[in-house]
Amino acid sequence: MNRLIHLNRLIGTLLLLCSLASAQYDFSLQIMDESENRSRAGTQQYEGTLEVITASNKVSVKHWKYRRIGSNGASKAILRFTAPAEVKGVALLIVNHTDRSSDQWMWTPAIARDRRIAAQDRSTRFFGTDFSFEDLEERDIDQFDYKFQDEESIGGLACWKIESKPKQSVSSQYTSSMLWIRKDNYLAAQIENYSSSGAHNGLSPVRSDKLVRRIRYSDIQNVGGIWTPRTVEVYDATRKSRTVLKLEKLEYNVPMKDEDFTLEALRHG
Amino acid sequence: MILLKLISWPYVRRHLPRWLLTIAGIVLGVAVFVGIHTANQSVVYAFHQTVDRIAGSTQLQISAGETGFDENVLDRVQAVPQVRVAVPVIEAVVSTGVQGQGNLLILGVDMTGDRSLRDYDLDSGDEAVDDPLVFLAQPDSLMVTDTYARENHLRPGAKVPMSTMDGQKLFTIRGVMKSGGLTSAFGGNLAVMDVYAAQKVFGRGRKFDRIDLALKDGANLEDVKGKLEALLGTGFQVQVPSARAQQFDSISRVYTLTANVTSVFALFIGMFIIYNTFQIAVTQRRSEIGILRALGATRRQIRTLFLGESVVAGLFGSILGLLAGIAIARGMTGYIGSLLGEIFGIAQKADEISTNPALMIFAVVLGVIASVVAAIIPARSAARVDPVQALQKGKYQQLSAGENRARRIAALIIAILAAACLLLERYRIFFYVGDALALLSALLLTPTFAHLLARALRPLLRWLRPVEGTLAADSLLQAPRRTSGAVAALMLSLALVVALGGLTRASYDSIFGWLSVALNPDLFISPSQSLTQRDFRFPESMGPQLRAIPGIGDVQLVRDARVEIQGKPTMFVAADVADLRRHATLPPVAGNTEEMFRLAAEGQAVLASENFAMLRGFKLGDVVDIPSPSGMLHLPIAGIVTDYSDEQGSLLIDRALYKRYWNDNTVNVFRIYLSPGASEGAVKRQILAEFGAQRRLFVLTNREVRRYILRLTDQWFGITYVQIAVAVLVAVLGIVNTLTVSITDRRRELGVLQAVGGLRNQVRGTIWLEALAVGTVGLILGLALGALQLYYSLHISAEDMAGLRLRYEYPYPIALWLLPGILLVAFLSAIAPAETAVRGSLVEALEYE
Repeated sequence: MNRLIHLNRLIGTLLLLCSLASAQYDFSLQIMDESENRSRAGTQQYEGTLEVITASNKVSVKHWKYRRIGSNGASKAILRFTAPAEVKGVALLIVNHTDRSSDQWMWTPAIARDRRIAAQDRSTRFFGTDFSFEDLEERDIDQFDYKFQDEESIGGLACWKIESKPKQSVSSQYTSSMLWIRKDNYLAAQIENYSSSGAHNGLSPVRSDKLVRRIRYSDIQNVGGIWTPRTVEVYDATRKSRTVLKLEKLEYNVPMKDEDFTLEALRHG
Repeated sequence: MILLKLISWPYVRRHLPRWLLTIAGIVLGVAVFVGIHTANQSVVYAFHQTVDRIAGSTQLQISAGETGFDENVLDRVQAVPQVRVAVPVIEAVVSTGVQGQGNLLILGVDMTGDRSLRDYDLDSGDEAVDDPLVFLAQPDSLMVTDTYARENHLRPGAKVPMSTMDGQKLFTIRGVMKSGGLTSAFGGNLAVMDVYAAQKVFGRGRKFDRIDLALKDGANLEDVKGKLEALLGTGFQVQVPSARAQQFDSISRVYTLTANVTSVFALFIGMFIIYNTFQIAVTQRRSEIGILRALGATRRQIRTLFLGESVVAGLFGSILGLLAGIAIARGMTGYIGSLLGEIFGIAQKADEISTNPALMIFAVVLGVIASVVAAIIPARSAARVDPVQALQKGKYQQLSAGENRARRIAALIIAILAAACLLLERYRIFFYVGDALALLSALLLTPTFAHLLARALRPLLRWLRPVEGTLAADSLLQAPRRTSGAVAALMLSLALVVALGGLTRASYDSIFGWLSVALNPDLFISPSQSLTQRDFRFPESMGPQLRAIPGIGDVQLVRDARVEIQGKPTMFVAADVADLRRHATLPPVAGNTEEMFRLAAEGQAVLASENFAMLRGFKLGDVVDIPSPSGMLHLPIAGIVTDYSDEQGSLLIDRALYKRYWNDNTVNVFRIYLSPGASEGAVKRQILAEFGAQRRLFVLTNREVRRYILRLTDQWFGITYVQIAVAVLVAVLGIVNTLTVSITDRRRELGVLQAVGGLRNQVRGTIWLEALAVGTVGLILGLALGALQLYYSLHISAEDMAGLRLRYEYPYPIALWLLPGILLVAFLSAIAPAETAVRGSLVEALEYE
């Protein structure tokens, strides 16, 4: 769960880890586990406002509706654009798996066609935003190895700094990620994703890794008992552009049906 | 060098016009060679460049000929572990409504992954596409090159009209690519759109044209290629991008070959002009040679002097030819480009010529060699000049009887060998050697025949003008060396004209026959104005809709596409064979009509076009292995038919079989047969009214299709007309050269004639009649040799070039046109030399006397 949108799943507390914090033990996995547990919800839906600010300060705004069923990496989600008019109806179905990368399909209503987003294309930008397709995945924490790094403050909030690396069997564009998990509510305050053109997956830090994206979470609110960041800001270090996602009308555990998360449902949205 | 400077240079200066005429043959030959080759090469280079630029960092390309393949192939390719990225591509050339911009190459790609292979916005920090989501969401999105945008004053948001399968639509510029790399493909007339939108726009269904892929670091290209070939099966081609460009070379092979023949022939004929002039020069300069020999110059030095002159002449002529050739190429590139594009339906855009230094050097070397080879015999004659005889003024060297006899015997032996080669003509090399030997034999016999004909013409000339005619005939008889080169050049030129003319006429006759008998539908519905363009396709469902239109009796659904058979692109025509049988009226070249149609209709056999069978070496009953996306098809040839659908041959199979193996139900052309009494115009209007607004379609009448095919044929034979023009031009040069030399040679004789009271008009008349006599002799020999060359040309065309057996028919109309034409040209060629003769100084001419 070192990825982006579902950072609400990082919400939670891990009291046990507090007591272990002083011990000589790498408790990063427990922190992540607790973070995942705290964000767990059977379903989730919200209306998102997406603002893309380019390096030359050109701003474009889009809106989407997001619905998810399932959790802990075994989930399905549909994201459907609602505005502006030119993109209305364009949708993305994400089927996450606990043991591998997700499957994704995009629906384009103007030509009534769905297209599969190939695994090789997950590293590409998600339709001009600063998210990549991979950033939209929800991955189980077991797909990563974690290593406690330090304790650091982000915006005056005390955090654990944890390094995560995808396991050998997992494909990812990122060589490693650095997560700052808030001590007060186990929510991620910031994630930095790194990449290198060379080999990865080893546990030792790769010095040549380059920062690809930085994600910051703010505007934390408790919704239905789950602490959730209502604003997510992604910074693309290469392009020097930003994307700000604001979550509105956020709800958890709303009744949803599995059949609403199929290719058929995507087409008939 | 010293001899060249002291002896040759003053001679050249004194006879500059003649020297320039001498090298004109080389200039022309080299110019045609460089011009046609450079133009051809520029077109091929433009195609290579387009392929290369579009390929980007693509390492392998997967295609299934022109038929495309199902989308699911992409998933299979992407699943191969060594593949880093694999993206689908659709490529098509469309004409836009933007005036003066010609065609636009549309590249349909999946933008989500394609950037890994192609650089769209280059190093610019700004996005090429204003909003990628809008670009994908709106099927009318286009991304054009900045060159195209600038030239057409298009900015993001501007609309470009384009004819799609759903009728005329406006497309929106939603991105502009910066200069460089990809953007220079197709001369910058390139636009990118979403691959799925392109499927809809071009009627591709759920198919892709191609998959472009790049490998993971460390993966071995050959290993992955083999793995993909094994995974996908024989119907797919897995190739490096450059291999795709090579297909173009293979397709345009015949055209290149024709271009080669033209230029080599021009050089060959040019050689005779050089030979002629040098031979005369040797005769004229015999006293000079005699003095040199008397002063101690060796035979070798004399030979080297003349060969050195030929090298200089060749070099000078070649360089001039090179410059003229580049100018020709500039004019021809666009023409050849559009011709190859129309005939083969291949996307390329050649605006600029690409000069190849190797070709330039080769052309110069060829020109020099031709010049030197032409000068070998005259140089040898010069070296043999006897100094004593040479210094006796007024004594001309004549051809010895021994020399004539030896030549005649050699010619006879060579003619026998040429005839023997015909017996072994199934071995192609013997056939070509036989042709060369026949030509050589004819050339060796030229002086003998020229002499005989001149003797035969003497009474006629004498009857026409007693004094002038006798003098003209005697001039030819007394100086055979002066005229034999010109006669040989004229003979070769006219033989070429007769052979090419005969070949063209036979081809036209055959095409006319096929058009009037086999191409019998009343209307043709095509998604493109050009029937060879296969980028747009109709859905099958249009067939029943068309059948429902009143006045339409029958509709044939035809899908044609180029697929690779035995590694060569081959045209495939898929149609309802049973229905074709109902309308077929042309008997097959081989096979039983009923049996072959029955087997083909049952999907148990194919019908091959005659040119396919000839060019690929297939006979009736032979099994053709046809790779398809669903596996290899092994089908026997049940019949061989006359079909001009494709210049390289075609295979006809039943459409049901094609649909099954290629999973492709699209249609390129609907062939419409009207009900008895139905009006062609009314049905055409009805079709346009019903589909015009919602479909991109062109309804062509049978007459229009015939005109279209004949226009293509005319364009194809355009190069033949160039050959004919070059041949005639060289022949004219030969006559002018001969007469100029003759006048100079006979200055004293003509001076004496005037001194003893001969009138200027009598001198003019003598020269005119001599020109007409040379023209007549060349004409007779040329028309005779042409008859033989036509036989060889028809065979070469049938076996090695077009694969069509054409009927031998001597082109009498052409011969009848040549008769007055050449005599007129000969007369016109004589005007200037005649005037020079009568206006020259009598004192100078009689200096010796």
